[in-house]
Amino acid sequence: MNVQIDNQTEQLHPVSFEQHHKISCFLAYEYRLLDEERFDDWLALMHEDIHYWMPGIENRRRENLLEHGFYAGDHMAYFDDGLRDLTRRVSRFKQASAWAENPATRNVHQVSNIEVYYGETDGEYLVHSVIQSVRSRGLDEQYVIYGRRTDVLVQEAGQLKIKQRLILIPNATLTCKNINTFL
Amino acid sequence: MSNIIKTIDVTDSLENLKDVCDIENGRIAGKIFYDQAIYEQELEKIFARCWLFVAHESQIPNTGDYVTTTMGEDEVIVIRQKDGGIKVFLNACPHRGNKVCFAESGTTRGFICNYHGWSFNVQGNLVGQHESGIYEASDFDKAKWGLKEVAQVDSWKGLVFATFDPQAPTLQEYLGPMTWYLDALFDNQEGGTEFVGGCIRSTYDCNWKIAAENFVGDILHAGWTHDSAARAMLGGSVAKVSDFEESYSVNWNGHGYEFALDTVGNVAVLGESALNKYLHTIKPSVAERLGEFRSNMIGAVSSCTIFPNFSFLAGQNTVRVWQPRGPNKIELFTWVVVNKSAPQEIKEKWRKGAMMTFSPTGVFEMDDGENWEYCTKTAKGRVTAAQDLYIGLGMNSRASDTSLPGNVFKGQLNEANARAYYQQWFDHLNAKSWKELPNRNFGKQEAE
Ligand code: FES
Ligand SMILES: [Fe+2]
Repeated sequence: MNVQIDNQTEQLHPVSFEQHHKISCFLAYEYRLLDEERFDDWLALMHEDIHYWMPGIENRRRENLLEHGFYAGDHMAYFDDGLRDLTRRVSRFKQASAWAENPATRNVHQVSNIEVYYGETDGEYLVHSVIQSVRSRGLDEQYVIYGRRTDVLVQEAGQLKIKQRLILIPNATLTCKNINTFL
Repeated sequence: MSNIIKTIDVTDSLENLKDVCDIENGRIAGKIFYDQAIYEQELEKIFARCWLFVAHESQIPNTGDYVTTTMGEDEVIVIRQKDGGIKVFLNACPHRGNKVCFAESGTTRGFICNYHGWSFNVQGNLVGQHESGIYEASDFDKAKWGLKEVAQVDSWKGLVFATFDPQAPTLQEYLGPMTWYLDALFDNQEGGTEFVGGCIRSTYDCNWKIAAENFVGDILHAGWTHDSAARAMLGGSVAKVSDFEESYSVNWNGHGYEFALDTVGNVAVLGESALNKYLHTIKPSVAERLGEFRSNMIGAVSSCTIFPNFSFLAGQNTVRVWQPRGPNKIELFTWVVVNKSAPQEIKEKWRKGAMMTFSPTGVFEMDDGENWEYCTKTAKGRVTAAQDLYIGLGMNSRASDTSLPGNVFKGQLNEANARAYYQQWFDHLNAKSWKELPNRNFGKQEAE
């Protein structure tokens, strides 16, 4: 899984200034869709083979590291989703009986430190970024999640799609009760 | 025995607890979810006294394998010994108290304290110090200064529990006939169960009891609270619990298991037909192993809490501990449990399915968190904290003509388990020791 994402030693080739700009705008657009609760439009940006993965982070000693250091493919994860899973999650948000979503959670998603490289095949891009999600609920609840993200985007019929997403938070204990959004 | 932890002094019980926990009359008050003085009593009279879940055997199969966790707010190391046994130590150095193990899990030949370099082996013995020569000059007796061990450690079908209290009854006595029900999930196949790798931890602004109580016997909330999740996962509402012909609430020593006999009601919400199929496939062998009755429980609509803070759902296969972090805060530790003998792809579906439903990103759990936090937060108001809260459902539902073990009540839409849970809580806070704890069990010790 995620051969490309994990292969840190491979020689990476940055894309052009223009392509970098396009992809940055795409990522900003994607996050605005989430902030505006346009979940169907957001889902439409997912590739049919999407692997949307946010592994649990384990606080282990350097001599006891896992498959990928602080996380492993067969361990517990916040998200380890395909398109069907993402669709089911979205479907909960849309139920009138999602009591905890009314009043709504107000979201601000931010993406920065964007690096874009050519991927393994034509029309594929490897994107590293840093993300921040701020949520507020009720009168006074606020939750902030920071993370590092690695995406594989593909150009398909003139449209960029997200094919792989790896989200790594620094926290071994989530400092809030849930993640009722996407990152 | 110098390495066994000193028993802490027991303070006097709080007065007027009956005002906030009056089980005969089916009422409690929000104060029990928000009061600092009550919380201090809980740390001492419940968490330093009861058997607490600390690990699953499968997490530490080999010598030197360890996990760290907490018993109440006390940090501990759970480590496999050379002889196959398990020891549980305070994760605090006996020199100045620094934490000795910072990792959540791993494998080691010992622990070395970062502060002054005291080093301990797997058995917890102090085996060396930085500048060891100067200790000799002070007539230092190494044998007395190892890591401090908890009073008792024992396990049931892979579930490892520990207690700080040397006077605590055996784990068998503590669990009583609940073990008969635990086996429906933890011993339904040869080889028993294992935990999937990892542990997901999250933080709630809620009292630990409101969460534990939810699993001890509150299926009532499911049909309402989780309607959106059920629709998302199943495309329809959750099974209507009041339609079940036969269901039970069973408790003992404050533990509680509420269940239907529909085999797959819980597993169904994972929306993975392969898992339903797996349970149907193993069911005949479960019936052979545990009898027909419990073979109906393996993934049925159900939930369980072992007093005070260990809970699980058979079917979703989520296992969790509600770790107290103050009167109005918890850390939730969750794991996924699977049958060791299950095919790999079945284990994999459970790993994902449990997370998809019951985890911080789980579509079911999201709605629970809101409820528990605000049951806690409203009690911030002095007047609100004193308000009577109704806990009287199923007052007269005791099953008198049953062969089932434990204190058995008819129907799972029932607050009998919640009442027994809070009664046990009340009794502990009023007792100075195990000896003073009243025995309120009336059911059978064993199945007939
Ligand atoms: S505190 Fe551990 S060696 Fe001093
Ligand atoms: Fe729930």
